[in-house]
Amino acid sequence: MNVNVGDKLLGYATDPGIRNRGASGGLVTAVLAAALERELVEDVIVLKHINEYEAVPIITDDVDEVLASTGSMHTVPVNLAKHATGKKVAMPGKPCDVRGVIEQAKRNEIDIENTYIIGLNCGGTMHPVLTKEMLINMYELDPEDVVGEKIDKGKLFFKTQDGEEKGISIDDLEEAGYGRRESCRYCDVKIPVNADIACGNWGVVGELAGKATFCEVMNEKGVRLLENAIESGYIQVEQAGEKEIAIREKVNSAMLGLVDKWTEKIFTDIPLQERMKYYMEQFADCIDCGACKEACPACTCKEESKCTMYHNLADDYKMSMYHMVRLLHLSDSCVGCGQCSDVCPVDIPVTTIFRRFADPAQKKHNYKAGMTLERPPFLEVMLK
Amino acid sequence: MKESVYQTYCPGCGIGCGLYIRKDDKGNLSIDYMKSSPANLGKLCRFGVTLAHHYSEIKTTVTGSEADVEDAIKAAEQRIQSSDSIAMLSVGNTCNEEHMAFTRIADTLDTKVHTGLSIYNELASHCHGYLAGMPFAEMEKAKKIALFVDPYVQYPLIVRRLLIAKNNGAKILSVGTKKLNLADENLPLEPDEYETLEIDNESLIIADIHPNSDDDHIKRLIALAQETGAKIHFLRPFINGAGASLIEKEKIGNMSLAQIMEDIEAGNIRTLVTLDSDPVELLPDAEAAVETLKKLDNLIVISSRKSPVTKLADIVIATEPVYMKAGTFISVEGRVQENSGEGVDGIDAMSLLNGELGGKTFDYQQMHYRVKKCVENAEKEMAGHTDNKASDCVSDVKEVSRSVPEDMYELSYLYNPFMWFDQKDDNDFVIIDRKLVKELGLKKGGMVLLSSEKGKIRLRYMLSDLPEGLVLTAKKLPIATGAITNVSMEGC
Amino acid sequence: MADRKEWEPKIVAFCCNWCSYGGADTAGMGRFQQPASVRVVRVMCSGRIDPLHVFNAFLEGADAVLVTGCHLGDCHYVNGNYKTEVRYQFLEELMIEMGLEPERLHLSWISASEGEKFASFVNKVTTEVKKLGPSPLKPEGVN
Ligand SMILES: Cc1cc2nc3c(=O)[nH]c(=O)nc-3n(C[C@H](O)[C@H](O)[C@H](O)COP(=O)(O)OP(=O)(O)OC[C@H]3O[C@@H](n4cnc5c(N)ncnc54)[C@H](O)[C@@H]3O)c2cc1C
Ligand code: SF4
Repeated sequence: MNVNVGDKLLGYATDPGIRNRGASGGLVTAVLAAALERELVEDVIVLKHINEYEAVPIITDDVDEVLASTGSMHTVPVNLAKHATGKKVAMPGKPCDVRGVIEQAKRNEIDIENTYIIGLNCGGTMHPVLTKEMLINMYELDPEDVVGEKIDKGKLFFKTQDGEEKGISIDDLEEAGYGRRESCRYCDVKIPVNADIACGNWGVVGELAGKATFCEVMNEKGVRLLENAIESGYIQVEQAGEKEIAIREKVNSAMLGLVDKWTEKIFTDIPLQERMKYYMEQFADCIDCGACKEACPACTCKEESKCTMYHNLADDYKMSMYHMVRLLHLSDSCVGCGQCSDVCPVDIPVTTIFRRFADPAQKKHNYKAGMTLERPPFLEVMLK
Repeated sequence: MKESVYQTYCPGCGIGCGLYIRKDDKGNLSIDYMKSSPANLGKLCRFGVTLAHHYSEIKTTVTGSEADVEDAIKAAEQRIQSSDSIAMLSVGNTCNEEHMAFTRIADTLDTKVHTGLSIYNELASHCHGYLAGMPFAEMEKAKKIALFVDPYVQYPLIVRRLLIAKNNGAKILSVGTKKLNLADENLPLEPDEYETLEIDNESLIIADIHPNSDDDHIKRLIALAQETGAKIHFLRPFINGAGASLIEKEKIGNMSLAQIMEDIEAGNIRTLVTLDSDPVELLPDAEAAVETLKKLDNLIVISSRKSPVTKLADIVIATEPVYMKAGTFISVEGRVQENSGEGVDGIDAMSLLNGELGGKTFDYQQMHYRVKKCVENAEKEMAGHTDNKASDCVSDVKEVSRSVPEDMYELSYLYNPFMWFDQKDDNDFVIIDRKLVKELGLKKGGMVLLSSEKGKIRLRYMLSDLPEGLVLTAKKLPIATGAITNVSMEGC
Repeated sequence: MADRKEWEPKIVAFCCNWCSYGGADTAGMGRFQQPASVRVVRVMCSGRIDPLHVFNAFLEGADAVLVTGCHLGDCHYVNGNYKTEVRYQFLEELMIEMGLEPERLHLSWISASEGEKFASFVNKVTTEVKKLGPSPLKPEGVN
């Protein structure tokens, strides 16, 4: 079968084992395995599962490790972008992973021609510890008993070992402080159109539900990825119908509607006269660990970078130079992935603060970080 | 490319932050965040973020030249057999199982393992619950918190717990340190003024115990808890300080690190065997520690990383880095946490040594089983912390009085993970009071000259509101003679 | 206090070597009346002014910062000042988000012969900043 840019397909792994273990048909795993096996790439980035709630990104050239990584880990809020630097890899990626890869590529840390990105639609990730707390407090389930989860009609369901299934509306969970991470609630890229192919279960209905993935081919690299997997017999695809395409669109716009609601709720206006005080207070507990920079998928600086070199622990500034420099740099590169808030040991809502600066600046210049290589970082390069 | 991932804990302090160490096929290490770790949610402090630099490769050596482990063990056995005044030291920088193996050797030699803390000996055993930590959730619930540490510099991962407590309505008082952003009040109190804190049974006292802490001050704080019914939470350095104090309690020696050094000076200890414990790193006066250690007949070091003491050692028995070890650690919360690693080099080496010395050989499983039993037995003490009600623990509190000569200042350490492990950090400044800046006529961007009996040093400074006469440093300074050093200050 | 001298703001002016620095010089030579509030930092091109320099000036105690350079099209290095312009737009956006009054940051193109322009620019900013008072980012102990 010929694959073309712009195709919208339904596909799944031909191997029943991969297909069953996969989140929805194992297409992603099969495409990654095929890319590795037929040497389209040297290595693959996947998640190594630790337990039901946690997995760690690894780079591997071992097909078995790729095959062991099936399944969507909704409680694994990692960002994979930095793992891809300087290598010839194929990788899965949520929209924020992909945006990170593109920001890295803009700064020549990733050779995009040799990086194959399989985008995963993403409605959001959850923090593992909070999820366990939520299971105890909201679901009255023992986290150790849980064997699977799924999202259906706005409800989050958990299944236990003895087959029990319990669902609560995501809205209710989030109002109670659980559910998706804050940055996921206002993230406005749900379908990774910036990847080579964009995969997800939205639009897969009827008999194929849970057994196939909807896959949009975004560019030539996407064609290569899929053709490679088809030729090697790893996957099977067919064109998606009108109905499937429409459903996917509909769910996507419903999700984006939610995004607007959360954006309004989280980014309340801070009166001009109070802003300085607000930011000073927010950063006042910073312990200068630098974790927010380390975890940042848009940052391409190594150990020696402006934000750390111009910052001095002995400085007695009202706001740290470190954060000032980061505010600047991130205003044209923040992809809003939430990693910095996750790792901040003193719970500063770093991502939300960066978005407060990045959003107006990016909007003004009609620029969205991490979406396309065609627009270079505009703070560093002349416009027009 | 092949990457291995180890699930482990941060060796910096006793909080026990979970993290991953990733190793690629060239041996490069990097960290990753273990967001499912209940102690820290994957968050790490400055030390944790730069942890990959901490593990330094170590080689087995006999009198300075590389050797086989077997040969080193034989050589160690001969040296130990021919010596009759042996001290063993393990402060808790390695897993319970290795610590347990170390106590097996102590048993064979009919001696004890010192953990560098003498406070356990000063308190009756039913009072040891005071010294155990407690779950951080307790911290979040306290109504009033009296802080005797600088959490930002020393135990950064409790900052968020304190902020949560504050959010829940707690009042936070910090005593005798620099102005803390999260504290409602910063009080420059002397020990005899502690009652003005108005602590009650809904309050929590937070302090720390470490090899250089002052037993009298610890007793003063326990007395305060005893009088008021407040809870007390002692934080600790080292990944397994809590474990080292709980495992095989009856085999724990009672000497402080300083006493051990005095005994070496006096010739009462002629052989020192250490397990991942480096007096040169641990003591404030590194130079003096080196001189003292040189007086030993035999210095036998069992260690997972290179440190100053490995250079001085007659015999170094190298073990795998901590993140690769099989084993468990006890955090200050009383949490027993297990590494994913499977390395047992350390245990096997100690088993062999024990066999050579005439004791029984053992394996990891046996040590692990014994540890489990110990933990079960210690549960009361570990859980006792939540209601440490013993009211007869401290009767005579020696008033801690320090004498600072006129015109001199007290240079005091903010002990933190970087200091315990001699790691590079950009902490090369002292924290001084605003008033002092005026008195010395210091200019912005200038330096201060600190002089002690050991010499002089020029340093940058940072301003803060400090109790009068106090100078703080979060970096070990060569002019220091102890945890507290009297210094004079000049502008320059 | 009646005898206390009126508060003088500290204004840091980044000047390009090829024009605005000359402008500042001309202003001095032409004895145009200008306040003692300005500290000039000479750079080879306004394109060299990293926004972090501006932030650092504020953190060190500046009450206002002036970014000055050659008129567009006159850059000694072809297009340095276009880059300045882009960065400046950014910086302005950031200042507002941070809550620092926009009157504390100015951009002006001044040639070497425009001494009077430089002087009146500085005068105008000084008056404005005097009304605003000291910058909220000024460290304790700095006037
Ligand atoms: C967090 C998350 C949220 C998602 N939300 C939606 C959604 O709202 N709507 C929708 O249509 N589709 C969503 N998807 C995509 C969908 O769940 C399937 O991943 C997709 O349909 C591909 O299925 P598959 O069987 O081919 O994948 P598999 O063959 O099972 O492969 C899954 C791949 O995803 C990788 N992966 C798993 N977890 C993560 C993670 N947290 N971060 C990065 N990579 C990861 C694995 O390493 C593996 O390579 C989401 C996926 C994830 C990971
Ligand atoms: S992660 Fe938090 S504490 Fe660390 S540098 Fe960033 S803001 Fe500061």
